[in-house]
Amino acid sequence: MAGSVIVITSGKGGVGKTTTSANIGTALANLGNKVVLIDTDIGLRNLDLLLGLENRIVYTIVDVVEERCKLKQALVKDKKNPNLCLLAAAQTRDKSAVDSDQLKNICEQLKEEFDYVLVDCPAGIEQGFQNAVAGANEAIVVTTPEMSAIRDADRIIGLLESKEGVERYRLLVNRVRPKLIKSNDMMGVDDVVEILSCDLIGVIPEDMNIITSTNKGEPVVNDEKSLAGAAYINVARRITGEEVPLLDIDVPTTLMEKIKKFFSKKAQG
Amino acid sequence: MYDNEYFVVDLGNCTTTGEIINNLSLALETLNHTGKSIVLKLNDNYLNQSQLLSIQSLITSYGCSLDTIETTNPETIAIVENMNIFVQKPIEKRVADKYDTQEEINSFQPFSMPKAEEKKDIIALKDVNNLHFEADLDALKRQQESIDISSDLKEAGINPKEDFHTIDYQVSSQYTRPQEVLNEADNFSKSDTAVFVQQNMSKAATMELEKEFENAEKNSIGVYKKAYDENNFQEDSWEEVDFYETATTSPVISDSKSTTYVNQTLRSGQILESEGNVVIIGDCHPGSEIRAIGDITVWGVLSGIAHAGMSGNTNAKIRALKMNAVQLRIGSCYSRRPDGTNIPYILRSSIFTPEEARVVDGEIMLFKINQN
Repeated sequence: MAGSVIVITSGKGGVGKTTTSANIGTALANLGNKVVLIDTDIGLRNLDLLLGLENRIVYTIVDVVEERCKLKQALVKDKKNPNLCLLAAAQTRDKSAVDSDQLKNICEQLKEEFDYVLVDCPAGIEQGFQNAVAGANEAIVVTTPEMSAIRDADRIIGLLESKEGVERYRLLVNRVRPKLIKSNDMMGVDDVVEILSCDLIGVIPEDMNIITSTNKGEPVVNDEKSLAGAAYINVARRITGEEVPLLDIDVPTTLMEKIKKFFSKKAQG
Repeated sequence: MYDNEYFVVDLGNCTTTGEIINNLSLALETLNHTGKSIVLKLNDNYLNQSQLLSIQSLITSYGCSLDTIETTNPETIAIVENMNIFVQKPIEKRVADKYDTQEEINSFQPFSMPKAEEKKDIIALKDVNNLHFEADLDALKRQQESIDISSDLKEAGINPKEDFHTIDYQVSSQYTRPQEVLNEADNFSKSDTAVFVQQNMSKAATMELEKEFENAEKNSIGVYKKAYDENNFQEDSWEEVDFYETATTSPVISDSKSTTYVNQTLRSGQILESEGNVVIIGDCHPGSEIRAIGDITVWGVLSGIAHAGMSGNTNAKIRALKMNAVQLRIGSCYSRRPDGTNIPYILRSSIFTPEEARVVDGEIMLFKINQN
C-alpha cells in the first residue's frame, strides 16, 4: 500500500511550518511509521537545522532533480530514529531550480517506500508553494490565532480546494496562549475554526521549549515534559487515524479556579 | 583518584562477538581492576549499538568504566561516538610493542580531548578579544593600500599582470557542472582539471543502488578529529625542535597557478570558486561554500563547507583561524563536524586557535599550524 503525501503549508511565514514538520515527522517515526521529510524551501533551508542533521548533508533535492545522485543517496538518516529520513533543500540555489512535475515524481517514488511523506512548504503562494503541493494528497494548514495568519490561511485553503490531487486538508492552530484567550486578548481556537470552516487536526500551545530545542537541533517531541511536544504527538496520532481528544492546555490562574476545575473534572468523570 | 589509571584489553584477535565477550569477562575476572578505566582494542570488528551497550554494562558490573575504544571499523566508530565514548585509532605498532610489561600497560595514557567545562574560561576573555579581529582587519586593509608592489616588479622585469594575476572569482548563487562531462566520465584526461573533478563526483553518483529503501544509506561521511592533544602539545615540542636543522631548510612554495584574495564575509548561500588557492580575509558563515583546486586559507572563522583540492589532490590543505566547518572536503575525502561541537555564536570571535586540515591515511585530521 502506498503511503500518503502530506504537505504542511501556511501562506504566512513564521507561524511554525518547519517546526511542525520536524515534530510531526519525528512523532510519526517514533510511533513506528517510516517517514521521510522533504524540505522544499530551496535557498532558505532550515529543516536540517531543527533535526540537527546540518553536518550530514552531501546531496540535496536539486542534485536529485539534476541527476547528480540517486534519490536514495540524498536521503539523510536521522541520528536517533532510523525510521526517519530527510531530503534536504539546496542552500545555494533558488526555488526555480525545481519544478512541480519533478517534485511530484520524487513524491511518487518515495510514497512507494515510506508510510508518510511530509513536505515542508515555503512561505508564499509562488513557485515554491506550487512545487510543494504538486505531489500531495493531504494538507495540513498551519495558522496562529491572529488576523493576518488567518487571512493567509484562508487564501491557502482556497488554493488547495482548486488543486486536483489534494483530497483532504485540516487545520492546525499553533502558538495558542490560553491565558490571553481567557482575558479576551486573543482569538479562541473555536473562533479560528469557525472563520475558516475547516476540520481541526490539533492545537499547539506556545512553549518556551521550542526555542531551546531549535537551538539544540532536537525536536521537542523527544522532550517528555514539554506540553507542545505532547500536543504534536497527539497530532501525529490523529494523522494515523487514531481518535485522540484535544489536549487540555487550559491553565487555571487563581487558586479558586484550580479548585473549581478540579471538582468539575471529578463531577464529569 | 583513579582517573589516570587505564587498563588495556586487547580483543583484536577475536572474530565473533561471543568470543569478545568471553575474553573480556575472563580478563576482568582474573585481574582485579576495580575502579579502573578500560581501553578496548577492537581492530576491525564490527559491533552494533546493543552489543556495545552490553559490553559497557558488563564492564560497569565489574566496577570499571569503559573509557576508550580503539577501532578501525568506521561503522563501529560512528556508533561509539553516538554513545559518547572516546574513540581512538590504534596506536602505531612500534609504540604498541613497547608495552610489554603490566606496569607499562597500566601507565599507558591515551590522549583525551579537552572537556567542555575546561573551555569555560574562554568566556572571561570575551570582552578583551571581541574587537581584536576587526582591528586586525583594518590594519591589514591599510597595509594592502600602502604597499604598491607593481612598480617594483616592473623594475625587476616582471609583468605583474602575468605573474601575479588574481583570477576572477564568482560568488554566484547558480552553479552548474558541465553535463557532458558527467556522461563522458570515462574519457577524462588528467591534464584537464575540470574533467578530473567530475570523474570523482560521478563515481559517487553512479554507486550501486540497492533496490530496498529499507537500509536507506547510512551516512558514509567520516568525522574530522583533532590530531593533537591541546594540553600536552606545547611542552613536548620544545624538546624536539632542532634549530640548526630547521634554519637550513628552504621554504616550500606552492606551484598552483594563482591565488584569489577575497576581502569580505561569505554569507549563507554564497559559493566561492577558484582554480587556484583561495585566501579569505573574513568569516565564512554556515551555508556558504568554498571550492578550490588548490589550498584554502580563511583569516577568520570557517563555519561553512570548504572543498580544497577539487581536482582530486588529497595533498591540499584547509587552514582557518577558527575551525568550525560543517563539512571539510579535501580531494575525494569527505568529513563532517563531530556532533555537538558547534561553537555558539558568542564564542566565535573571542579566541582563535589556528588549525590546518590535512588528509592522513584517507581521513581528514586537524593539526596545529606547522605541526608535523
